[in-house]
Amino acid sequence: MFANFRQSMAWLHTWFGLVLGYVLMSCFFFGALSVFDREIDRWALPETRFAPQPMPSFDKVLAPAFARLEADPADYALNMPAMHDPAKGPQTPRLSLPADEYWAYTTHRDPVLAIGAGFRVPLAKDPDGHNHIHGNATIDPRSGAAVPSDQLKIGSQWFYPMHYSLNWQWRNMGIFIVGLAGLVMLAALVTGVIMHRKFFREFFTFRPAKQTQRSLLDLHNLTGVVALPFHFFFAFTGLLIFAGFYYFPVSQFQLKPLHDQHEIIEARETGLPHARAGIPAPLASVDAMMAEARRRWAARDMAGEVGFLQLQHMGDANGYVSIYRAGSDRVALVGEAIHFKASTGEVLREEPPRAPVPALNEFLAGLHLQHFEHWLLRWLYVLGGLLGCVCIATGFIFFVEKRKQQHARSGLQGARVVDALAVGCVTGMIIAAIGILVANRLLPAGLTDKGAWEQQIFWGLWALSFVHAALRGAPVAQARINPAWREQCWTIAALALAAVALNAITTGDHLLKTLFLDPYLAVAGVDLSLLVCAGLAIAAALKLARRERHPVAMGAADPVEVANA
Amino acid sequence: MPESLWLIIAAVLSLTGMTWLALAMHWDQVMPRPASRADAPRRTLRGFGTVMLAASAVASMLADRPSMAVLVWFMLLAASALTVALALAWRPALLRVLCPLRAH
Repeated sequence: MFANFRQSMAWLHTWFGLVLGYVLMSCFFFGALSVFDREIDRWALPETRFAPQPMPSFDKVLAPAFARLEADPADYALNMPAMHDPAKGPQTPRLSLPADEYWAYTTHRDPVLAIGAGFRVPLAKDPDGHNHIHGNATIDPRSGAAVPSDQLKIGSQWFYPMHYSLNWQWRNMGIFIVGLAGLVMLAALVTGVIMHRKFFREFFTFRPAKQTQRSLLDLHNLTGVVALPFHFFFAFTGLLIFAGFYYFPVSQFQLKPLHDQHEIIEARETGLPHARAGIPAPLASVDAMMAEARRRWAARDMAGEVGFLQLQHMGDANGYVSIYRAGSDRVALVGEAIHFKASTGEVLREEPPRAPVPALNEFLAGLHLQHFEHWLLRWLYVLGGLLGCVCIATGFIFFVEKRKQQHARSGLQGARVVDALAVGCVTGMIIAAIGILVANRLLPAGLTDKGAWEQQIFWGLWALSFVHAALRGAPVAQARINPAWREQCWTIAALALAAVALNAITTGDHLLKTLFLDPYLAVAGVDLSLLVCAGLAIAAALKLARRERHPVAMGAADPVEVANA
Repeated sequence: MPESLWLIIAAVLSLTGMTWLALAMHWDQVMPRPASRADAPRRTLRGFGTVMLAASAVASMLADRPSMAVLVWFMLLAASALTVALALAWRPALLRVLCPLRAH
């Protein structure tokens, strides 16, 4: 089929990259935003703009907050009929479900605290299974008061899931598409390196003054090569994190009996009860357990804060409390768990150091999920993600530039279609992301289900950008530049400036205040990033306008390499 | 020494190392003397550039625990290589300023 190996690799790189590059673009872009998801949350929820808090007192703050949790109505409606056994008696009403599990989770960047409960189904079809109806909430850890639940945390509940699931939950379709895209990313990296003839000789090469195709290919290679370890490890660890649960769920299907048996043996070996005893028991002071956990970590020369707290089998003699250390000073995920007997507070088990394979797995997952406190590395990760975006975007534009002369001569529309999709995926995606922030500041705070409105505006703006790009795309069929690129750059600039202005007007937290008078860097950082984005968009728009007026000579700079790409 | 100071040193070393490697490879774009008559300084730059990148790894290790330092170092390399490539494209004279040799 192909004359040589390199050509077959080029075919794979071009066509797989083209089809799934659109997905990868949003993984990289929203992934880069997710590095600062908590900070974007603060920008979008002005009432949560206060300093990050440690895990609060259980006895004073958490216990009453847990007691106020209710089973989620949607979860109840969906899962209760499946778990409940009508032969044993009537279905327990939602608000009467007994709590079985409580958890609370915080990081060094969280002012607010995420908490949740798993409610037990008393008359279950399978009493040995995990019969939980869940209920989650976000509280202010200083008072225990609930943060309004119909507000969308735009960073951690919209941009963050966007980058691994495209926010398409139906049958986990988004997660599977992203997984396929991640696999293609790995293939594209390998084939890209094989195609690249001058990997080291052109390591620092970018020639913006040369023909468009040459400059584009330079930029594509540069952004791909300098951040190659980042691209490889983020695609790989992203797949790894989801592999066990979503992509190869053998423990839930083929090997479920083995998995269940393993849980029971593990419970026996660790001394952590697998099931309830059925004997009621009180709860000892969890604050004392947290103090003891901190003391034991300090004794091991790894003093730290509590990051994750979990109470299992609530109110039962088999109940236990697991306390995990926050991983703010290391790459590997939260760990060093210490488990306490809930009724007495005695230590049941202190987790031993990890064996090499789980330790490697924790490191790989941790380097992607970034629980650590390291602001320089966070910003470097943003740079890596944005380099990935540039790499993919230049790939699209190169595809179009290479074909549009020929398509114009023979009257084909292929280049025009790809170009319109590229506009929607590059500038359109940025418009949607900044648009949801503008919507967040414009919609009234008391609006019912404000989060749903914000999501609709996000999708609406993104869809409009595709329509706009398609309608304005005629010049591409004549081998010229689609004016939609320039127009959407102006839109980005206008939206970004509007977002910064609206934040200052509606919350009073303008940059002078958040930087100097009363520093709050989470909000200042989002505002400054928006200003930088506006500046770059204006520069790009002006440059595009110049190019549209004076098109530069097209033509392959290096016929051999360009033909292969 | 505080962690942030070591990180700044690591970043500077990485940027310097990448600059010298780029000078050795793209001598003609930056220097007036033709590359064909500058073999010795180019070899020196390549050697010292490599040493600087290694020193940057050491400085990262002094700032953070090794597992974190590896990530920081790789990302610093990416950021410096990008910076040098863009400087080479638009402001090549900047690279001459960082050349340690009197080899114009």
